[in-house]
Amino acid sequence: MTKDSDLRESRLVFYRNDLGKIDRVLQEFVRLSGSSSVLLVDKEGHMITRSGKMPSFDQDTISALVAGSFSATREMAHLLGEQEFSALYHQGERDNIQLSLIGDRTILTVIFDDSTTLGMVRLYVTETVRKLEDLFNDILKSQKDGTNPDIEELSDMSESAKDTLDALFDGN
Amino acid sequence: MVQINFARKEINCKIVYYGPGLSGKTTSLEVVHQRTPQGHKGELTSISTDGDRTLFFDFMPLDLGTIAGMKVKFHLYTVPGQVYYNSTRKLVLLGADGIIFVADSTPGRMDDNQQSMDNLRENLTEMGRDLNKIPLVIQYNKRDLPNPLPVAELEGKLNPNKVPTFETSARTGEGVFQALKAISALVLEDINSSDKKGAMGVAARKPAAAPAAGAPAAARPAAHNVPAAASRGGEGVMPQKEPGSVLRPSGRPAMAPAASAPATAVAARDPAPVAARPRAREPVAVAVAPSRPAAPVRQTMSQSRNALHQQVRQVQKQNARREEPADEAPAPAPVHPKSSGGGVKMAFFMILGILAGAAAAVAAVKFLFKF
Repeated sequence: MTKDSDLRESRLVFYRNDLGKIDRVLQEFVRLSGSSSVLLVDKEGHMITRSGKMPSFDQDTISALVAGSFSATREMAHLLGEQEFSALYHQGERDNIQLSLIGDRTILTVIFDDSTTLGMVRLYVTETVRKLEDLFNDILKSQKDGTNPDIEELSDMSESAKDTLDALFDGN
Repeated sequence: MVQINFARKEINCKIVYYGPGLSGKTTSLEVVHQRTPQGHKGELTSISTDGDRTLFFDFMPLDLGTIAGMKVKFHLYTVPGQVYYNSTRKLVLLGADGIIFVADSTPGRMDDNQQSMDNLRENLTEMGRDLNKIPLVIQYNKRDLPNPLPVAELEGKLNPNKVPTFETSARTGEGVFQALKAISALVLEDINSSDKKGAMGVAARKPAAAPAAGAPAAARPAAHNVPAAASRGGEGVMPQKEPGSVLRPSGRPAMAPAASAPATAVAARDPAPVAARPRAREPVAVAVAPSRPAAPVRQTMSQSRNALHQQVRQVQKQNARREEPADEAPAPAPVHPKSSGGGVKMAFFMILGILAGAAAAVAAVKFLFKF
């Protein structure tokens, strides 16, 4: 089982190339499972990417709540002597949410309605989790090979942040 | 922890309001939400008790705007301040990139402030982090109250490292944004300083972090130690952040096509159809799957969902057909299902018995006719 444990206490960086691969896996999942939409969220509650229909809800908020829900459930698992509950399911009248852990740091959040079934979603979630774990592992392995052109875009933030912060916070 | 997403051109950070119960964490966040311009904020979500006390956390996404070509988003959280919610407090604190400690200036609450600060330090230590090395600012809140605790006393007991502090009133909103601005600057500076020390490209290519765009301390007498914060952040010592985390593009080609999964695996993995069947039928279902024709057996992700539906229904029908006689209709002969040899023997003996009975009946009839 692939574990991105090396990333546990550190930041997550996703380059365009990697996200393209992840997006393709998610798009295939949405198509096959009949889900409304799928979000990939990290354990801190930040959304990484999404696929499927544009949801009507606030994606940042749902991501934060997903992470909170998973954190709380993990504590319950510990109390029961389990390492982690790797999957959660929230059932609603119309929409349902299936959450599945990928590796150690990311959560696959699937939103689906009655146009598909829980069994169908879970079937493809299993496949997708395995694929994404493999993909994350490949990405992690390849990190030692050179640099990525994307990093050129990350220039010094402190100095350029000044005007933005002034504009947003001053006058309040 | 910070998430840098080049595809979405986003940097996501987590800021946590920490402090004792009723010190004004949620109120501070409400002020931020009320006064942040539309387009820069998301919904303010609270998981609270009926009595409006924070149960898990309050949450608000804050969009700082585009900085250095990246859209910077802060996720602002508050923790539940009450002592007995420490387990949930730790969950919220996990992965925080910056902390705003909200101290209560009410006379008599010094112990609560100290206890909360100690608790913050302990919780971070448990997570393998060091409070001295995390971007931190302190709000001395409720300064609008009569006879608040002297700042010098708060400073002496809560701020040994001389992090930036702000005299605030969350009720009126005074000073809240200055504190948020200061922590924003520290966190952004920390992104750079962490990059700088890393061997993973991002840092290696960039110059040393410039002094942070900290709060204009001189213009705001209620802010303290802000220049110290800039120099503190400039040290760039964040040992808990390992640069090895940076994800690089894979050298491999795009994902290979999905591997085919045999129907037996489908039957085993898909909990819904199995769960829908009576437990007694489960072994039969698994046994039926491999006996299906070769073409539909190959159930892969590349096949359409409808085909899978059909296949699942087909398996269920086959199972039902195979099991109906055993489950519902009584067997015409008591044949043991696990032993066909035993069934033949039993049938043989039964036929013998019937023949013997018939012979006995004929003999009896003949005997009767004699008389």
